Amino acid sequence: MGARVRLQCAMLIATSLACAGALALEPGELAPDFDLPLLQGEGNRKLADYRQDMVYVDFWASWCGPCRKSLPLYEALHQELAGQGVNIVAINLDEHEQDAIEFLEQHPVSYPVLRDASASTPVAWQVKAMPSSYLLDGSGRVVRAWAGFESSHLEELRDAIAELQSP
Amino acid sequence: MRLLNCNHPEAIRRMVISLAMLGLLVACAPVQPWERGRLALTRMSLEGDALLEAMDEHVYSSKEAASGGIEAAGGGCGCN
Repeated sequence: MGARVRLQCAMLIATSLACAGALALEPGELAPDFDLPLLQGEGNRKLADYRQDMVYVDFWASWCGPCRKSLPLYEALHQELAGQGVNIVAINLDEHEQDAIEFLEQHPVSYPVLRDASASTPVAWQVKAMPSSYLLDGSGRVVRAWAGFESSHLEELRDAIAELQSP
Repeated sequence: MRLLNCNHPEAIRRMVISLAMLGLLVACAPVQPWERGRLALTRMSLEGDALLEAMDEHVYSSKEAASGGIEAAGGGCGCN
């Protein structure tokens, strides 16, 4: 093939790659760290703070219907799993912080809710849907990922946690 | 012209390449999943409020002397 043809083929491939979406964070991959402020209260939380424990990271926004449905269920799960080495952390991605605050005033949760105003974390985690959630093991690796939310996810989450907890 | 001759393999190849390059030149700005909050607003709904639309439709059809009422969740006005 001539150089011109090779260049044209390379450009065609580059176009295809540019149009294709990046792969989402897959099980087995090390989750990128974050250092985000609490939405309510002072201080930051890092993913590294949860090493040695399981952590369930949930990306949500107040405008997202399934997100609104999931938060009270996650709160119940958080209460259920208290003291079992399982942490739940929510990362809010609302464009306007006040929307998230108003939602939480109506549906309070006791687990940490962080705020990512720049949306750098969902970019790093290759979030493809809202909500998206990830269960990480004690080494920070993704065990299971969920795109969207359905009631069956809770059972799947419980099963995944039980599997990690089993010797 | 050779480019418009769809039976010519060179023309087909050039057309494919041109379309691919066009894709690069067009300003594509994909909306990220977390940026779709504005699309979720009630005022962005194409359907709007079902009851208000049904009432508007009823007034319209009455003025047009068209038959039939429009149903909406929660019931209509009962005047048909």
